[in-house]
Amino acid sequence: MSPTHSLPLLLLLISLLLISTSTGSSDSDRVSELQSLQSRSKTGVIHLDDHSVSRYLTSTKTPRPYYLLIFFDATQLHDKSELQLKTLHSEFSLLAQSFVANNPDPSPSSPNLFFCDIEFKESQQSFALFGVNALPHIRLVAPHQSPKQSEQMDQGDFSRLAESMADFIQAKTKLNVGPIHRPPFLSTKQVAFIVLATLVWIPFAIKKIVKGETLLHDPKLWLSGSVFIYFFSVSGAMHNIIRKMPMFLADRNDPNKLIFFYQGSGMQLGAEGFAVGFLYTIVGLLLAFVTHLLVKVRNLNVQRFVMIVALFVSFWAVKKVVYLDNWKTGYGIHGFWPSDDWLRYNCVRTRTWRHYDNLYALSAK
Amino acid sequence: MAASETSNGTALRYAFGNVLSFFILLLIGVLAFSIRLFSVIKYESVIHEFDPYFNYRVTQYLTKNGIYDFWNWFDDRTWYPLGRVIGGTVYPGLTLTAGTLYWILNSLNIPLSVETVCVFTAPIFSAFASWATYLLTKEVKGAGAGLTAAVLLAMVPSYISRSVAGSYDNEAVAIFALIFTFFLYIKTLNTGSLFYATLNAIAYFYMVCSWGGYTFIINLIPMHVLLCIVTGRYSSRLYIAYAPLVVLGTLLASLVPVVGFNAVLTSEHFGSFLVFIIIHVVALVYYIKGILSPKMFKVAVTLVLSIGLVVCCAVIAVLVALVASSPTKGWSGRSLSLLDPTYASKYIPIIASVSEHQPPTWPSYFMDINVLAFLVPAGIIACFSPLSDASSFVVLYIVTSVYFSGVMVRLMLVLAPAACIMSGIALSASFDVFTRSIKFQLPGVKGNSQVDAGDTSSEGVVAQNEVAKTDKNEEALKERPSKKNRKKEKEHVEKPSVKAQTKKRLLVLPFEASIIAILLLILLGAFYVVHSVWAAAEAYSAPSIVLTSYSHDGLHVFDDFREAYSWLSHNTEVDDKVASWWDYGYQTTAMANRTVIVDNNTWNNTHIATVGTAMSSPEKAAWEIFDSLDVKYVLVVFGGLVGYPSDDINKFLWMVRIGGGVFPHIKEPDYLRDGQYRIDSQATPTMLNCLMYKLSYYRFVETDGKAFDRVRRTEIGKKHFKLTHFEEVFTTHHWMVRIYKLKPQKNRIRGKAKKSRSKASSTTSTKRGETQRKNPWH
Repeated sequence: MSPTHSLPLLLLLISLLLISTSTGSSDSDRVSELQSLQSRSKTGVIHLDDHSVSRYLTSTKTPRPYYLLIFFDATQLHDKSELQLKTLHSEFSLLAQSFVANNPDPSPSSPNLFFCDIEFKESQQSFALFGVNALPHIRLVAPHQSPKQSEQMDQGDFSRLAESMADFIQAKTKLNVGPIHRPPFLSTKQVAFIVLATLVWIPFAIKKIVKGETLLHDPKLWLSGSVFIYFFSVSGAMHNIIRKMPMFLADRNDPNKLIFFYQGSGMQLGAEGFAVGFLYTIVGLLLAFVTHLLVKVRNLNVQRFVMIVALFVSFWAVKKVVYLDNWKTGYGIHGFWPSDDWLRYNCVRTRTWRHYDNLYALSAK
Repeated sequence: MAASETSNGTALRYAFGNVLSFFILLLIGVLAFSIRLFSVIKYESVIHEFDPYFNYRVTQYLTKNGIYDFWNWFDDRTWYPLGRVIGGTVYPGLTLTAGTLYWILNSLNIPLSVETVCVFTAPIFSAFASWATYLLTKEVKGAGAGLTAAVLLAMVPSYISRSVAGSYDNEAVAIFALIFTFFLYIKTLNTGSLFYATLNAIAYFYMVCSWGGYTFIINLIPMHVLLCIVTGRYSSRLYIAYAPLVVLGTLLASLVPVVGFNAVLTSEHFGSFLVFIIIHVVALVYYIKGILSPKMFKVAVTLVLSIGLVVCCAVIAVLVALVASSPTKGWSGRSLSLLDPTYASKYIPIIASVSEHQPPTWPSYFMDINVLAFLVPAGIIACFSPLSDASSFVVLYIVTSVYFSGVMVRLMLVLAPAACIMSGIALSASFDVFTRSIKFQLPGVKGNSQVDAGDTSSEGVVAQNEVAKTDKNEEALKERPSKKNRKKEKEHVEKPSVKAQTKKRLLVLPFEASIIAILLLILLGAFYVVHSVWAAAEAYSAPSIVLTSYSHDGLHVFDDFREAYSWLSHNTEVDDKVASWWDYGYQTTAMANRTVIVDNNTWNNTHIATVGTAMSSPEKAAWEIFDSLDVKYVLVVFGGLVGYPSDDINKFLWMVRIGGGVFPHIKEPDYLRDGQYRIDSQATPTMLNCLMYKLSYYRFVETDGKAFDRVRRTEIGKKHFKLTHFEEVFTTHHWMVRIYKLKPQKNRIRGKAKKSRSKASSTTSTKRGETQRKNPWH
């Protein structure tokens, strides 16, 4: 039976159960139902709708013998990339999978934990019940809590994806999630194929290298490669990768405006880094162009025109970087002349930035 | 006749040029030395920061007790109760250098103190480093580029930051050693002389002695060798430059106790051995190619290739097995975080906690290498036209170092020399073109055709000279075939260009545009000088042990650290143990001469986590931890009163993280309110009850009545509280250092307990009164 057919049938069954057993169905029944639902789902996430919410949450008497961690999903918002609903949902399923795998038979004494998701279109009532009006939204319903009282997971708790969600669960429920089982980047078959391909390729490569006709012998490739690495590094791209900085931010005061430049030396945005990296690189490239290529041009006027343009662009780029640096860091670069006001600079602040300057900004984040 | 006259003239010019370069180099040395003296002039001749105090203490020990005692020194004043074997865990290069300097000066009857020698070691070695840069760049692109690079290096801010007078740290001598090793490698590569190869190994040994960054050398040089082989640039000179370095260098490196067998056992070094094998295989192939006929060679190649592949596979399999058997795959945490930048932040909070290990943003580049960042791409391109063995090496150097600097701010220091070399090459090349354009198109010279004619004749003369010189050289240097090779190569490079020039026309740019370009370049250089002097004078010269601040009512000097350390040394027993966060460990042992629990040599994570846990625990639990470590005094640094931002409260989250990494009952979220770190009334109860909070803010409300923290810019959350297990014994003038004593354990007898409690409270109250009088701050 295909899953599309099984779901309505299941719902029917549940509702039948609901009717037939009225409110008399015991807690253990619910737990076993949830367990069977969980085992039936591929990822261990139980799909809830308005019916099942009332069955497992509102119509039960507290304390329930289980926690519910509910992910509020909306299919129509999946294409809004800034909400990251898709990644969060997959992380959520990963978390559920890992939890189920790490805790195969839960101890009967402590309450169970079930992972659920609710879709907005199907279950608008439940959304209203929980008072959810913004996504992404994850809620943990403890055994004694009603939906309204339940605890919302903070933005900070899913910032590090499944790992931080696990921390949240551990902190609130005292249940141990255990290590997250991420699927390996490459499957074993792929790895085997790659190894095989390399092994086959090696003799050909050696032959080519011996003959000296590979791309490696082309200095232009090396040149562009090294200039690119230079550009990549001075633009602070490593910082953006390590800190997972976005390319730009939306302005808090005016949502239609975007912020490309971040003021303060501890942080930078992606677009900002690339812009300045480009300015850093362009000057040197123009200088090299003028001194190595332009000298070979015969037409004096072309030379003159190109040179003036190059000089103008370089001058502008340097000026722009100096301006941006002053704006961003606040360290005005000025001449040094020994006089009384050389002490005006707040020395308490100078040296220390190398040590722990970032820390406060970091922890505030 | 005319030729001999001109050759005489050029000889004179060369001699004059050499003398001039010599004096310029001398001035560059003076510049490099004196630009680093701002800290001494503005403050005083003191050792800076944290690590230098340890080096100073070791140097003192060395000069007092001699080298053998130093080698076997077991220090019981630190990492109590574990202690630390100093001789086996320290890079001895810096200490030995300063010790030797001290010994030479004293045997010349110049009675300088050890401290003075230590303070001025770094500036002296930065002068050496700029000379080494000259030598290196000269080998790559000639004397002009060399001088430019040297003057740039003399004042590059990134290097100044680690080598101002008083900054007595490993990097001060290591950068010189690094550049000098590279110079000797290039020199060997260019000459093929075994003499330089040996020197190179010795310079490498000095580098290994000085700094853990030597792994950069032992990976960069093999990479270059491999690159040369792959791009078909193998030569016997390459073999001579590389093979002795690996053999001698590894043997010498394993003599340094701190490296020891790591020189052959860790993955950082495996690359060099692999390349060592490869270069031998390649050398063998070339040798067989030389003695066999082409047909026979083809047969041999297939034979050797198949055998070689099998051997290579076996070796690689062994290596992989070796590497895989160790838990970190044989790489140290620091190196791993270079290869996988996200590694440190995930697994090693102690490395991630230091801001030197954070990835830099673009303003850091502007701050640390300034306008050089603009010139480097031009230098890279200049190195590619034409590409030689030497210039490919510097390209590789800049590319690797710029990548590494992108991962860790600290490695900006390794990038700085490369950036200077590249910018020197770029500046020199562009000055060459622009001045040539001006010189041959001066208004005095008439017409373009004449320029061409004059040019051809002069170029012809130059070409003749070149030929004459090479002839002479060939005669003179017959016994040195390798040098001849090099000359020949040079000839190959130069001849076509000369031909091209004479055939076409002089390569010049328009006159006016060249003048503007030169002016702009000079402006750029002037900006660099202004920035460097500013950075040296203002940004990097503060010793961080004495702080100053200028406000509307005059200059404030905060000498609290030395005040606290001297209090400790005068008012506590010699054997008392002082606990503080690890940052202050070196200073406490060096200045107060007291035993500490943890210090800046962060070799034992558990021990540090113990202190971190104590600081993040409530008073009673903390007292128990400290008591179990025999701690008598606890020292905290507090900046809330004067606005000193790098105090313990700001570092506190790292204490929690590091502590929680080992002792799971410390959880970071307990200290954060909604993910935010705060100490005001919104702070979590765990935060308000932890030891660090209490020790920092104890009696803080008495200063201004509101307890306003100037660093966090907020009023603190809990203002009035008493300490139960600790008592305040000393607080410095500006409250920057506060020292507490652990109260003695209470007596268990019930009747006495009451009495003693009342007594204790009365003593604390009187004590408090005293300290209040001691601190005229309100």
